[in-house]
Amino acid sequence: MDRTLKTTPLNSWHRSHGANMANFGGFDMPLWYATGVKLEHLSVVESAGIFDTSHMACVMVTGKDAFNLLQICHTRDLKSLQNGRCVYGAVLNELGHVVDDAIVYRFDDTNYMVCVNAGMGGIVASHFQNHKSTLNAAFEIACDVNVSDLSEKVAKIDIQGKNSIKVLKKVLDPACVDTLFNKMPYFSFKGDFSVFSKTVNTSGCCCSSLCSKSEKSSSQVKLKNGTPLLLSRSGYTGEFGFEIFISPDAVVGLWEDILEAGKEYNLIACGLGARDSLRAGAVLPLSHQDIGGWKFINTPWDFALPYNENKRGFTKNFIGCNALLNQSNPNQDSLNQANVNNTQNVKYTYPFVGQDLRKIGAGSDSQVLDGSGNIIGKVLTCATDMAIGWHNDKIYSIASPNLPEGFKAKGISCGFILVDRKLDVGTKLTLQEKKRQINVTVVNDVRPDRTARLKISNFL
Amino acid sequence: MKEITELNLPEDIKYSDSHEWAKVDAEIITIGIDDYAQDQLGEVVFVELPEVGAALSKGDQFGTVESVKAVSEIYTPVSGEVVEVNANLPDAPELVNNSPYDEGWIIKIKADDPSLLASELNDLKDKAAYIAMLKG
Repeated sequence: MDRTLKTTPLNSWHRSHGANMANFGGFDMPLWYATGVKLEHLSVVESAGIFDTSHMACVMVTGKDAFNLLQICHTRDLKSLQNGRCVYGAVLNELGHVVDDAIVYRFDDTNYMVCVNAGMGGIVASHFQNHKSTLNAAFEIACDVNVSDLSEKVAKIDIQGKNSIKVLKKVLDPACVDTLFNKMPYFSFKGDFSVFSKTVNTSGCCCSSLCSKSEKSSSQVKLKNGTPLLLSRSGYTGEFGFEIFISPDAVVGLWEDILEAGKEYNLIACGLGARDSLRAGAVLPLSHQDIGGWKFINTPWDFALPYNENKRGFTKNFIGCNALLNQSNPNQDSLNQANVNNTQNVKYTYPFVGQDLRKIGAGSDSQVLDGSGNIIGKVLTCATDMAIGWHNDKIYSIASPNLPEGFKAKGISCGFILVDRKLDVGTKLTLQEKKRQINVTVVNDVRPDRTARLKISNFL
Repeated sequence: MKEITELNLPEDIKYSDSHEWAKVDAEIITIGIDDYAQDQLGEVVFVELPEVGAALSKGDQFGTVESVKAVSEIYTPVSGEVVEVNANLPDAPELVNNSPYDEGWIIKIKADDPSLLASELNDLKDKAAYIAMLKG
């Protein structure tokens, strides 16, 4: 192993269970285990799987102006975000480029947590710190907000798949299980700061109100042994499930308990390979690959921008919004030379599906060709969703109801392209990398009958 | 991922730098990818095979091995004509993982020039030299 790589508390577990390890975001992480990436992918779609996501980072944003700082630093309009809810969006720079994508968790009006990607805790925390001055200037007063990077101080496991609750019920404190899963919509969470209080105390970055608040909280979520955790109904697979935040010293025990409790449901440990193919089939972006150093607009993730009703403007001002608006309305100011240059760089991101499971390599060597053979862009992601297959020009998943007779999920390649023009759904394209070519179609969605957004009562 | 000491690397075959193996039986050479390559690739889900009758020169790409995570080109370590392809691979590509030297063979080539074959085989590595290369 490269000695400069960071490790999660589960590293020894991964290595002693036959994981194929690789560098991901500066961490030594499992790509797949001896079970193989295909079975890991299928287990999440059919039943349940767990992922070590402790390489991801958390940033706490606290204080009277926490909301105001996040409101200018995150693309979602947080006015409507309620306590106990979280929301997906992006952190942009002034150019409208993506610093990282991030889920903002609201505990209450002065306490927020922001979950970002591996290695990004420090960078996003610095970005927030730097924009305190933007806030100070806007308010003409020194703002009351603290930003602290909890990178590597909080561990995280994702349990994903329709049997996630049944497994969790076996490892959680029975006293909290009864009410826990009542009214838990997609992108809500339960639990509190006590998960982080030890961390926060020892690192000296916590205001005391957080810890006292956590002690008073009535929404504790605990394991059978009393260990507190934060349970978020979210994930990165498109399937029903949870992200679990817990103290690093308790994560290995929880991981092993979940595997034991999940045996009867064929739950298995899954690596980043399955995570990548599951999220590609669910049309979710990988930060720094599908979104990154170009304007965050004209993507399948436009829901993450705070558009007003006519989609011509935003409901709030935020860092990067002017750069995005200039691009989205190029005709409004066509005499502005900077703007004309701007429109020449307009880029569009689209999901695609292939004809079968064959892929090509993504990245700078790849090309997207239109029907006339013109190069119109490049491939951002190309993965194979092994849980789906074509049948009479329609995609079915192994989890689809009423599967046609004779259907076999042979796998279909899918991913994202970045092109220089607007394309309609149904457009046929060729993706090329060196001598290799595959034919693909622009789509809105890939793996059908996903479970992430279904009512929790379906899974109890 | 396997440690080098865990790899299954038979003594009676030759290895290329790009991780194909070649087994010689008179003028017929069987070719596949070795244990190191299949372990690195992960679960193979598709093998693209050449046409029987294709004429190949040493170093030509003759197909691809595709895992869920990656696509890898495969190159012939010897020159000759493709006389047989493994007809089981389209339905059972995982044979490349489970049995890389036996049921997971990929193509058979007939070499038409014995002296060229001898020299090409001489360029390939035996087990000891191959392990030394893997260790870097």
